[in-house]
Amino acid sequence: MLRYVIQRVLATIPVMLVVALFVFSLLYLSPGDPAIVIAGDQASPDDVARIRALLGLDRPFLIRFGDWLLQIARGDLGTSIFTSLPVSHMIAQRIEPTLSLMLLTLVISVSVAIPLGILAAWKAGTWIDRSVMLFAVLGFSVPVFVTSYLLAFVFAVELDWLPVQGYSPLAKGFRPFLESLILPALALGSVYIALLARMTRATMLEVLSQDYIRTARSKGLAMPPILFVHALKNAAVPIATVVGLGVALLIGGAVVTESVFAIPGLGRLVVDAILKRDYPVIQGTVLLFSFSYVLVNLLVDLLYTVFDPRIRY
Amino acid sequence: MNATATSATSDATATRLSWRALRRLKRYPTLAIGLSLLTVIVCIALFAPWLGTVDPESLAPAKRLQPPSAQAWFGTDMLGRDLWSRVIYGTRVSLTVGVSVAVIASICGLAIGLLCGYFRKVDAVLMRIMDGIMSIPSILLAISLTALTRGSVQNVILAITIAEIPRVARIVRSVVLSLREQAFVEAAIASGTRPMLVIGRHILPNSLAPLIVQATYICAAAIITESILSFIGAGTPATIPSWGNIIAEGRALWQVSPYIVFYAAVFLSVTVLSVNLIGDALRDMLDPRAAKRP
Repeated sequence: MLRYVIQRVLATIPVMLVVALFVFSLLYLSPGDPAIVIAGDQASPDDVARIRALLGLDRPFLIRFGDWLLQIARGDLGTSIFTSLPVSHMIAQRIEPTLSLMLLTLVISVSVAIPLGILAAWKAGTWIDRSVMLFAVLGFSVPVFVTSYLLAFVFAVELDWLPVQGYSPLAKGFRPFLESLILPALALGSVYIALLARMTRATMLEVLSQDYIRTARSKGLAMPPILFVHALKNAAVPIATVVGLGVALLIGGAVVTESVFAIPGLGRLVVDAILKRDYPVIQGTVLLFSFSYVLVNLLVDLLYTVFDPRIRY
Repeated sequence: MNATATSATSDATATRLSWRALRRLKRYPTLAIGLSLLTVIVCIALFAPWLGTVDPESLAPAKRLQPPSAQAWFGTDMLGRDLWSRVIYGTRVSLTVGVSVAVIASICGLAIGLLCGYFRKVDAVLMRIMDGIMSIPSILLAISLTALTRGSVQNVILAITIAEIPRVARIVRSVVLSLREQAFVEAAIASGTRPMLVIGRHILPNSLAPLIVQATYICAAAIITESILSFIGAGTPATIPSWGNIIAEGRALWQVSPYIVFYAAVFLSVTVLSVNLIGDALRDMLDPRAAKRP
């Protein structure tokens, strides 16, 4: 078991290195020259060269990459070109809204999607199943910003139940905090719910066709305990895998949802940085998002043994 | 096919075949719905200039922000541009991006997947790279890539394609790995067939069905990603009317003039829905083993 854990952890290292190399070279190759941008219109070539040397932009690729990796390893993500603040500082300031949004979305999605998927599998072929699947295909097809506007229009503008935009930090009270995040979380969750519900249904259908389910039914057990205790336990591994993989959807969606609902989170940070070509900030946020994604999936992999004790490594 | 059909004239066979196709459509109502919606959308893209549109870029400041009416069917935006024309022409961008990404990503992903699945040495290196790319959430990857280059439709296509290739490669690779273990492939290898011939003759044809299904989903995903990129301002240049651009321009006014966002959003969603419906139906038809997968 311990050997497996170590192996699995080590296996993420090359993946993370590729991510790091990619993020680094992406910006290395970019056509804009931040030195010229910072120096301004009036700068002489000497000024530009000095700024370039100051930023270390004149050294060879591999040396810069190596230096940069060492820096990252020390937790130093560099300094923003525009605000002159440390990137790690900027990220720390903005992590609360994004993390809260994602956790809330995760909780809502899992608690909506899994029962929906189970229901659809139980009532397979009926109109209940069809409408859940229709809902799922709609969830896949309607882009997250469209869902965002739709929800904001109905629940904030027309019904006036929830705030249209903005974010209220947890420190200012739980109720406004929750109210400011419900619509963004629902919008962000729509694709995720669709994905999870489909996966749950598919896995449950497979499990429900097995002999031990028939045995449970024939001994007179009611359907709910069969579904939630007998079947769900055996469907847990594939569902958990998709919960982990779907985090990529949440990250991509957060970039958009935060823009629509004016939430000052990491998604907004990355969009602003890309529009302004603030390289260190783009590097820091993309790395953080990607590394968290890799770690979440590593965690899911390691949790398999908890869901399914039959799995031994 | 039975004896009557073979002895019948080619005309009769054709009718018979088309009847069969129709019966098949009846068995897959989602395919019928998806195909008819998509046909309408493709026609809209092809015949955009003849659909009562004006120049989607022509400004008319005097007619700014007019709600939908008999003159301007979808209303006008804050620069007085006709939204019906802009939405209709926007169909072209979305379909171009969707189809191009699906085709290019499928071809590249197929090549990589075949190589990785068949040659174990290539696999170790290439798949690590693919895993790395896949661990960057695709929208994030695409916006970082479009930020590299100045916005153009080609660059948007390129950025989304790079983000989608690993997914195709993974699927093709897994199909190849399972095909390699099959007796007919082992027989071909044992009888001394050259690797490229084994791939071309035995493995490629058998990996096409899941590839086609995946390509459909990629097309839908690419249309969404393009609209998201344009929406945040990192996609199709603002001079080209695309649904994402129209929605981005309507953002500031969406509470006062929601119709700006509305029509583009409906077109976008219906297009993606039609492609997804086709994808689901194709999956059930072509890949019965995967039909249970989501």
